[in-house]
Parts: sequence; C-alpha cells; structure tokens
Amino acid sequence: MTKDEVQGVMEEEQQAQSKKALKKQQKEAEKAAKKAEKQAKLAAEQQSTEEDDFAKDRYGVSAMVQSQQKLDRTLVRVQDLTPEKVDQLIWLRARVHTSRAKGKQCFLVLRQQQFNVQALVAVGDRASKQMVKFAANITKESIVDVEALVRKVEQKIESCSQQDVELHIERIFVISQAEPRLPLQLEDAVRPDGEGEEEGRATVNQDTKLDNRVIDLRTTTSQAIFRLQSGVCQLFRDTLTTKGFVEIQTPKIISAASEGGANVFTVSYFKTSAYLAQSPQLYKQMCICADFDKVFCVGPVFRAEDSNTHRHLTEFVGLDIEMAFNYHYHEVIDSITDTMVQIFKGLRDNFQTEIQTVNKQFPSEPFKFLEPTLRLEFTEAVAMLHEAGVEMGDEDDLSTPNEKLLGRLVKEKYDTDFYVLDKYPLAVRPFYTMPDPNNPKYSNSYDMFMRGEEILSGAQRIHDAQLLTERAIHHQIDLEKIKAYIDSFRFGAPPHGGGGIGLERVCMLYLGLHNVRQTSMFPRDPKRLTP
Amino acid sequence: MPMYQVKPVCGGEMQIDLPTCMYKLPNVHAQQGNSCTIEHSLQNGEVDPAVKALEARQDEIMKKLYELKAAVEGLAKTVTTPDADLDLTVSSSLSPKSSSSTTLTGTTDLDTLLGKDLGALRDIVINANPAQPPLTLLVLHSLLCQRYRVLSTVHVHSSVTNVPPQLLSCLGPRHADSYARQMFQLGFTLIWKDVPKLQMKFSVQNMCPIEGEANVARFLFKLLAPYPSDPALATLVDSWVDTAFFQLVECSAKERAAVLRALNSALGRSPWLVGPEFSLADIACYCCVMQSGLASSAPTNVQRWLKACENLGHFACVVQFLQ
Repeated sequence: MTKDEVQGVMEEEQQAQSKKALKKQQKEAEKAAKKAEKQAKLAAEQQSTEEDDFAKDRYGVSAMVQSQQKLDRTLVRVQDLTPEKVDQLIWLRARVHTSRAKGKQCFLVLRQQQFNVQALVAVGDRASKQMVKFAANITKESIVDVEALVRKVEQKIESCSQQDVELHIERIFVISQAEPRLPLQLEDAVRPDGEGEEEGRATVNQDTKLDNRVIDLRTTTSQAIFRLQSGVCQLFRDTLTTKGFVEIQTPKIISAASEGGANVFTVSYFKTSAYLAQSPQLYKQMCICADFDKVFCVGPVFRAEDSNTHRHLTEFVGLDIEMAFNYHYHEVIDSITDTMVQIFKGLRDNFQTEIQTVNKQFPSEPFKFLEPTLRLEFTEAVAMLHEAGVEMGDEDDLSTPNEKLLGRLVKEKYDTDFYVLDKYPLAVRPFYTMPDPNNPKYSNSYDMFMRGEEILSGAQRIHDAQLLTERAIHHQIDLEKIKAYIDSFRFGAPPHGGGGIGLERVCMLYLGLHNVRQTSMFPRDPKRLTP
Repeated sequence: MPMYQVKPVCGGEMQIDLPTCMYKLPNVHAQQGNSCTIEHSLQNGEVDPAVKALEARQDEIMKKLYELKAAVEGLAKTVTTPDADLDLTVSSSLSPKSSSSTTLTGTTDLDTLLGKDLGALRDIVINANPAQPPLTLLVLHSLLCQRYRVLSTVHVHSSVTNVPPQLLSCLGPRHADSYARQMFQLGFTLIWKDVPKLQMKFSVQNMCPIEGEANVARFLFKLLAPYPSDPALATLVDSWVDTAFFQLVECSAKERAAVLRALNSALGRSPWLVGPEFSLADIACYCCVMQSGLASSAPTNVQRWLKACENLGHFACVVQFLQ
C-alpha cells in the first residue's frame, strides 16, 4: 500500500465521517431553525397579542410592595361579601385557593382565612383572552389584589363559605407569588381520615403537616382550632378576672426543680446551671403567702419527659390557678369547676362555627357537661372499676386505660364529659399535698377529667412549715433543696389550694381530637424542635 | 304419788369389766332417783325446759331458713330478671307489712333492694326535662330523705339552657355534710336535660335505664315500702299509677273527667285509693290531679282525699311548686 492509497482511504473515511457529521449538523440546523421559527412565531404572536390586548393594564404582577405609595383604597373582607354588596365594585385582597380555566373563562376561589368566595374572569369587554390566561396561570396560594363586581348567583355555591354571591373580576394583580410546587395541598390536609383511603385520594400525615406548619395552619381546620384556643384563653382570663383573681407572671428560669428533679430541663446560666420551670407552683403559692388571695397565670411550662404519646409535649401552655380559701378546699374545686363550665359554655355559645369546621375533618360527639360539675370520690371510682371487673388496689393510682374506662362509665351514667375525682390516696400525690383529716390514707387532692383524660391535677397545699417538713422527710426529699419553699410558709400562710391545666389538652379534648400536636401551634416533643 | 316404789333388784354398785372396744353409755339404773322427779314434774303438766329450748332453737332455725330461702329467691330473681318490677314478692316476704295506714314504715334494706354495697355511693341518677318537672319524684324524694341519709344534688346538662331557679332548688337546700359523699346511704342526682322521656339510671353495668316517670316512681317507692303482698292489690296500685300518668296528664278533658269519677267512686269505698293503706297510687294520682289543675273541680270524695293527702305533709313541695 502506498502512502497515497492510505491517505485516500483515510480521506474516504473522513469524507464518510464528515458526511455523517454533515447530516447531523444539517438536522440540528433544521431543528434550530424550527425552534427559531417557533420562537419567532411565539414572539410574533406575543407581540401581536400584546399589541391587540386591550386589557393589558388590567392585570399583571405588581411590583413588590415596598411602601412606595399609600393608596387610599378600601379593601373588603371576604366574610363581608353578602347579598347586600350586590352590584358594587369592590377591591379585595385574598389568596388564590384554586383556579380552573375553562375555555374563555377562568374560575378562581379566593380565600381569606376560613372564608372563601368564587370569582370569575371571563373574556368580554373588560377582560381579554390574555387576561384569562394570566389568571389561570396564577399559582395556588399566591396573594392577589382584585377589583371585581359583586354578583348574586342563582344557585348557592356549595363549595364556598360565601354561598350567595360571586365576583366578576375586572382587574387582577399578583402581590406575592407562591412557588408552583406546594409541599402539601390544602385540600389533602383537611380531608377526613378514612375518606382519602377509600377514594384513593391523598392524605397528609402528621409529620408533613408539622414540617410545613405555615401552610398547614392556613387550612380551615387549623384556623378554627387556634381561634377556639384563643377563645379558651380569653374566657379563662375573663372568668377569673370577674371572680376577683389577679393575673401574675412567674419566672421560667429557676434555680431548683420545683416538682421532683427527674423531668426538668437544665440550661446553662452564666457560670452555673439553671432549670426551666416545670410549673409556676412555688411562685403561685408565694403570691398567696404575699396576700394576693386569688391568682392565676398563663404561661409556658416545660417537662423533660421522654414520652412520645398523643398527649405529652415538652413545652406547653399552662393555665394555673391558686387561691386562698376560708374553711374547706371544696371552695377551690367549686371555683375551678365553675371557671371550666364558663369556658365550656362560652365555647358552646360563641364558637359553634369553629367547632363545626373542626368536626367536618375530625368528627366527634359534642362536648357535654353538667352544671354544677359532678364530683365523685376516689373510693367510688375504685368501686365502679371493681364492678366493671377491673382489678386494682384501693390505694393505687389510676392507670391510663383505667382512667379511660372510668370516663366511659361516668359518661354512661351521668352523660358528662367533664367531672372531678376527689380524695386521692395520699401515697400517689406530691409531698406538699394536705392529708385528709379523717383518713390518713387519703388526701385533699383532686383531678379533673375531660373525655376520660386528666386535664388538671390539684390539691389543698400544706401551708404549715412543720407539717411540710414532716411530709418532705417522709418522701425522702433533700430538705436543703426545698428550704426556700418551706421557709415561705414560716411567716403565716392562709390555707390555699389550686391546680394547673394544660391549654393544648383542653382544646384537644374539647374538640375530641386525638393528638395534642394538632392543638399546639408549633409543638415541641422529644423528637421535634422545629419549626 | 301415783305409783309405788320398788327396791332395786340388784345392787347399784356392781362392778363389771366392760370391753373397751365399744362406746360407753351412762348407767341407766344409777340415775333412777333423779329421773323420777322429772317424770313427776312432767305429770304435773309442766314442760321440760330442755324441750322448750330445743323447740325454740328449731323455730329459730326454721325462721332463718325461710329468710335465707326468700333471700336466695330474691337474688335469683334479680339475676334472671333485671326488671325491678318483679321483685315485689321478695321485699314483702322479707319485711313485715306496714301496720299504720298513713306512714310508710316497711323496713326495707337497701342492700337487698339495690344490691351489695361495694363502697360507692348508691347514686340514683334521674334525667328530667325542665319542661315537665317530675312532681311525683319530688314527693318520693322528700319521703326518701325522711327514711335514709340522702345526698341530693341538682345539675343542669349542657343540652339545656336557662333552667328556672325553682327547678334548681327543687330538692331543698344543700345538705350540710354534702362535701363527704361517703356519709350518705343513697344519692339522688337530678339532672335537667333535654330528654324526650324521663329517664333513670342506677347501675350502669347490671341494669338498663328505666324510662317514664311512672316506672321510676315505682322503683323509688319500693325503697320506701313494699308493694302490697296481695297480687290483686299490687295490680290495682299499678293500674292507678298508669291511669294517673296516661289519662290525667296526657289525655283530653273528657277522659280526665272520667278518671275523676272513677277516683271519686274508689275513694267512696275506702279512705285511700288502694285498700286501707296510703300507697304509691295516692302519691301518683295526687300529683297528677294537682298538675292538671283539676283540684278545684274535683268531686267531694276526691276533695276530701286531697285534703287528707295534704295533711300528711309529704306534698308540701308539690304545692310550693305549683304556686
């Protein structure tokens, strides 16, 4: 083979290669050309549409509100959209709940908290085809400003809270855009438990909800739960204030564990360490000794209990009551139960919509109670349980299943979800509990139950330093550690008692929910520290 | 002396070697002298005290056995039939008939009537609609209070709002010892609740709720006195109770008038509605007559009987209530 020949072969190969490459190139070029053509076409189209879009200043993404100007525009609330507003032109700011484009019109559902209204953008003399398209492309959960005409509808809109009217949108501007991919869909988050599985639809599990709490809190159910919770706090404060109680604030960083040392959080405090308050117990009692007579406080309480149950949190809101009484600690029980009954009545009378909303997702029987509250004694409870076939000692504490069973028995007979169990055995209560005057085995202490679960634990406290010392020694508690506590009773202390309620638990049980995390806005438990 | 004495044929102190493999009997002859005096006394018509004691013992045992039999029968009945209406034979056989005609004195034992005390307060829970206050039960309550230590409490259920204050205080003032539930024999818990029919719950485990004011009244009355042991009389009491609740309260004026005539003729024959004794029939009819406002238009015998009832003092709460 000569050099030429070799070269010739190579050339041929090259030529072959280049032929292939050429073809490829050609194809690519064609593609590019097509793309370009398309783009050009699109651009042209856009241009042409932009050119003949008569409504282009009626929609768009508005510049980020940086407080450039102070518009004198009144925004109407969704809940105020009633038939009275028919034929008025109004401005409204709301979230896009859903949007559905259908040919020349686009239906939007605009939401404001738990209220929503149907809105319509339709091609006509006010809105162009492009405007409809723009409206259809607004991502869910974006916040928009709309100007619209309120119109009465023939048929009630079942899916919205404002059933009698709809909005005919004339202008629409996006104020804040949501990312197109939401971590969870609001409809999925409010779907009742069993229903999703049956229809093959998605439900959102607890952890996803809690991880994306901001979106989960937007759901109607969450809105209702936390409005009701705020109601509980409000009613608690109002009722106690009218009863002559004084609201106090107690420190949350304390030097010594107030109730036993086991379940307390330690925090570093400059060169030493301190603890997070497990309850305002000591401070409440000190206020009583300081002649405040009747006090209450609302504040966070910390428990370092590593229990992952449906009703334990490591931080929760405690509603604490402490009061001096005249002769019998039942005065305290009466005060507390009356407060609870007032709260239940207030919720029953003023929060019916919220209760119904929560019931849609988590159905439960309405909360029933008696006024005055039913009071049973511990020995009776034990007898009732014995009768039901439960084996337990007379002086044992109630186990959780027994509590539940007792709740069912009481409900069966008295038809109440709220009752007081009085006279607990002394052995199962803390050292500062006052013993029963007639039977040293029992004590002047009580628990309150809602739907068979304990919400409050309280007692007449020992207000005598001598007896307190004896009881502490009996419980083998280091006297040095509680010296300050005992000393506060040395200078004359009125007989007093009280108790503490968990706000989250009250809400959970009132609504018949099954997890306390649902009623805690940003729950803290052994496995969750965020968000 | 009816007979002569004979000298013993052989000497009393005869020594005999007795075998040890058999049991011993006392010597018949050795006590001849003593037995003679007993025979003597017997022939004088006196009863041997030993026999007397034996007889008394036998009577006592028989009585105990009868009581036991009655108690067992009662238990068997409560086990097989939870309906308390069928228990009337037990309570009547166990307790003597009330002798007086106006006061209820039958000694009734709560343990036998309501089952064994397990340490819990025996609490009778009555759910009543505030629109129809159960007057009969209020009367029975005041009678129960005279007999037993009763812890009376009134509650309002969350299903009703705005209960008139007189309904809240209808069981009288709060007992001074009401803080200690263990000190009471019986609990009487009245709950004003939105119920279509009056309802009583006692033992949730063993007993279904009792419905209707008449039936609850029967139950409560049995805690005070037994029904008449004569089945015919007992039926008559029941019949009057039903007449009162169904015809006096619920029916038309015509029927009411008919009932008043029937009452009048029954009261012409005896002072009380059923036999010589004041009974549940009187309580029920009195309350229903008063409740329907028929007192003023009632015939003479009925008027006289209404007066007699009022004189007993049991009905003060009804009169107070209707004013």
